[in-house]
Amino acid sequence: MKIALNKLQSWEGFLLCALIFITLLNVYLSPQFLSFSNWINLFQLSIEKVIVALVMTFVIINAEIDLSVGSMMGLSACAFGWMVQGGVPGGLVIITCLIIGVVGGAINGWFITKAGLPSLVVTLATLIGFRGLARVLVEDRGINEFPEWFDALGQQGLIGPIPFAIIAFFILFTALYIVLQRSGFGRKTYLIGTNREVADYAGINTAGHKMILFIASGLVSAFAGLLYAARVGAVRGDVALGFELDIITIVLLGGVSIFGGSGTLFGTLLAILIVLSLRNGMALINITGHVQTGVIGLLLIGSVIAPRIHLTSFWRRLKGEHL
Amino acid sequence: MPQPILRLNSISKYFGMTKALSDMSITFNSGEVHAIVGENGAGKSTIIKIMTGIHQPTSGTIELDGKASIMTGPQAAREAGIVAIYQEPMVFPDLDVAENIFISDNSDGLLMRPSEQRKRASALIKRIGIKLDPSRIASGLTLAEQQAVEIARALSQDVRVLIMDEPTASLSAHEAGQLRKIAQNLAGQGVAVVYISHRLEEIFEISDRVTVIRDGSHISTKPIAEVTSDGMITEMVGRGFSKYFEKATSTTRDEVILEVRNLTLEGVFENISFDLHRGEVLCMAGLVGARRTDVALALFGIMPPTSGVVKFKGQTAKFTTPRAAIEAGIAYVSEDRRKLGLAMPMAIKSNVSIVTLDDFLSPLGLLKSEKERKAARHFIDSLNIRTPDVETPVGMLSGGNQQKVMLAKWLNLNPDLFIFDEPTRGIDIGAKAEVHDLIRSVAAKGGAALLISSDLPEVLAMGDRILVMREGHQMSILKHSEATQESIMLHATGQRQETI
Repeated sequence: MKIALNKLQSWEGFLLCALIFITLLNVYLSPQFLSFSNWINLFQLSIEKVIVALVMTFVIINAEIDLSVGSMMGLSACAFGWMVQGGVPGGLVIITCLIIGVVGGAINGWFITKAGLPSLVVTLATLIGFRGLARVLVEDRGINEFPEWFDALGQQGLIGPIPFAIIAFFILFTALYIVLQRSGFGRKTYLIGTNREVADYAGINTAGHKMILFIASGLVSAFAGLLYAARVGAVRGDVALGFELDIITIVLLGGVSIFGGSGTLFGTLLAILIVLSLRNGMALINITGHVQTGVIGLLLIGSVIAPRIHLTSFWRRLKGEHL
Repeated sequence: MPQPILRLNSISKYFGMTKALSDMSITFNSGEVHAIVGENGAGKSTIIKIMTGIHQPTSGTIELDGKASIMTGPQAAREAGIVAIYQEPMVFPDLDVAENIFISDNSDGLLMRPSEQRKRASALIKRIGIKLDPSRIASGLTLAEQQAVEIARALSQDVRVLIMDEPTASLSAHEAGQLRKIAQNLAGQGVAVVYISHRLEEIFEISDRVTVIRDGSHISTKPIAEVTSDGMITEMVGRGFSKYFEKATSTTRDEVILEVRNLTLEGVFENISFDLHRGEVLCMAGLVGARRTDVALALFGIMPPTSGVVKFKGQTAKFTTPRAAIEAGIAYVSEDRRKLGLAMPMAIKSNVSIVTLDDFLSPLGLLKSEKERKAARHFIDSLNIRTPDVETPVGMLSGGNQQKVMLAKWLNLNPDLFIFDEPTRGIDIGAKAEVHDLIRSVAAKGGAALLISSDLPEVLAMGDRILVMREGHQMSILKHSEATQESIMLHATGQRQETI
C-alpha cells in the first residue's frame, strides 16, 4: 500500500495519470485516436527525436548534456546524401555515417573528459561545428535521389504496417531499459550523475564512462539522421535543425533531473507518449502548432517545479528534520 | 551577574507521529556558556531549530526577557538577537572578510564605503579577540577563521544568544582552542553562548553549565563543577561507557605490509617515511594543514607522489588511480562523507556495493539485486545500522549511521590496508565506540590501519604508534607508551622535533 502510494506520488505516477487523462480526452474527441494506424503515424512523425531522447536520458542522468545531437543528425543525413550522390554504394555509406557519429561523439567526449571542459560549452561548439560541416557538404542543394530500398525502409512497413524505425525504437528502448535500470553500467550512470567524486574515490573510471555515453550519443544521433533521410526521402543543410531542444524537453518532462542522478527511461517513454498524444489531441481541436509548443513549454516548467514542491515541503513535513 | 535571556518552557515537538522533543525546559543566561550534550538524534538540532524559528514547537512557549514570544521564522529570531553558527561556516568565498561580515547589513543603503566597512570589521574582530585582516578574501581563510567571520557577522547584528553547533568538529586542536576562547570572550561580554559539542573535554574547559538531553527529553542541567565525565556519559547514553578512553592491547604482527620511504609531493609534503605492520593501528596526528590527508591521497593513487618509494605487500607500488590502489587491497575512508564518501540520495544497498560492484554482477553485466540486498542487510546487522530498510536513501540516516554505511562499502572489499580519515568526526559517542571496535577488529584480523585523527583522546586510545606531522613534515613517530596529549601537541606545533 505504502509502496503504491509512493509510486503515485512520484513524477512518473503523475505522468501516467496525465497520459490516461489526455488519452481519454483524445478518444472522446476522435474515436480514431486509439487506432493502430493513428499511433504508427504519430510515432513515425517524431521517431528520430524519440530515439535520440533514449540516449539523452543516459547523458542527462550522468549530469552532462549533449546539445550537438540535432547537428549530428543533420551531418549524418547530409553526409549520406553527399556520398550517395557521389556514387558510393549504399551499405558503405551507412557504415561511414555511423562512424562519423562515433568520431563526433568521441570528439565531444575527449574535450569533456580529457580537457575537462563543461559539456554545455563543448557540445554547443560542436552543435555549430557539425551543422557547419553538414552545410559545407550539401551547400544549399536538396538531395533526393536515394536508393529505392533506402526510401522503402523509411516509408513502408517492415513487419505488417510497422516501419523499420519504430521497430528499431522499441528494440533500443528494451535494450537500454535493461542497461539503465538493471545493469552495473546503469548503476554507475546514476552514481556518477549523483556525485562524480564519490564515484572517483570508489575506483570507478568516470571519464571512461562519460566517453562511452558521448560516443553512444553521437552514434545514435547519426543513426537517427539516417532514419530521417529515409523517411523524408530528401536531405538539406537544415535537416533536424533545433531538434536538440525538443529532445531535451522530452527527457526533462520525463522527470530526469537536469542536475543528474535521477530519472528513469520509463519516465522518458511516458513523456514521449504524452507529447505525441497531446500534439495529436490539440491538432484535433484545431489548436495551432505554436500554441501546442507553448502548452508543452508550460508542462516542462511544471515538470521542474512539481518534484520540488512535494519533495521539499510535503516530504519534509512528513519526515521532519531527518532529510 | 547572569540574567536569564531566553527560556524554553515545556517545549514539545512532533513531526507527524514522531516525537522529537518532549516537555523540554531550559533557561539560557547572559554571560554564560551553556553546553548541551546528547547522542545524535537526542534532539539537539531540533532545539536549535526551534530557538532560531526554523521549526515551531507543537506545544510550549519561548520567553525572551521574561516575555512570551513567538519566533515566526529565522528572520524574526535574528532580529531578536538569536543566531546559530554551524560546523560548516557559511561564507561567500569571493568576498573579503569585511564584506562577508556586513553581507546582510544595509543600514547605509546598498553601498558602504570599503574603508569604513573595514574599520568597523576590525573593531568587531578585535572584540572577538583574534587577528584577522578584514581585506583578506574569504576563500583563503582556514575553517576557524571562516567561523570567526560568521561570529563577527552575528556580533554586527547585536547577537544576544549565540548558538554554536559543533563548531570545532572540523578544526585542529589549536584552532579549536582559539574558537573556545572566542566563545568565552563573548560570554564575558554578556552574550548567552549555547555550545553544542561531542568533544567532552572541551565542554569541561569552557562551559559554565551543562544540559544533558536524551531521546528528546531533558535529563539534567548542572553547573559544570558538579559534573563528572563518567556521570555525563552515563546520562547521555543511559548506561556506563568506561572503555571509551581505554587502550586495547596491541595486535601488531611482525610482517611489514606497507613501507613508505621519503614520500614527497612537491609543495605539499616531503620525506614521509614509515613502516606499517599487519595488525597494527598507526595514527597520524597533527593540526589542520599538517597535510595528513594529502599523504593518504598519495598512497591511494589520487595524487601520485613526485618522489619516494612505496612498497605494499613487498612489491613496489606506484598507484596513479584509486582503482589500482583498490585492486591492490587499499581502502580509503574519506573524511568528507558528503562530498567524497556517499551518494546521499541513493539507497543504502547501492552505496554499500559501489566499490565492489563487479562482485554483484552476472556475467552479462546485470545486477544481482538479491545478492546486493543481502550484503547490505548483513552490514546493517553486523554494524548495527539503524534504518527502516536497505532501500532507504543514505541521506535520511543520522551521521553515525551514514559513517557506518561508508565503512560497510569498504569492508566489502576486504582490504589489507585501511586508511581511516577522521572516521569519528561529528558522530555521537555510541557510534564512535562502535567505529573504534571496528578498527580494532580490522587490525585483529591481520589487516593494517592508518588512522588520521585530530581527536587526541582517540589517537591515544587507538594508536599502537603515532606519527605526528606538521605543515607537510614528519615530526616524529611516538610509541603508544611514550605518547601523551602534551607530547603530541609539542610535536604538532613544532616546538619539538626528533631527528629521524
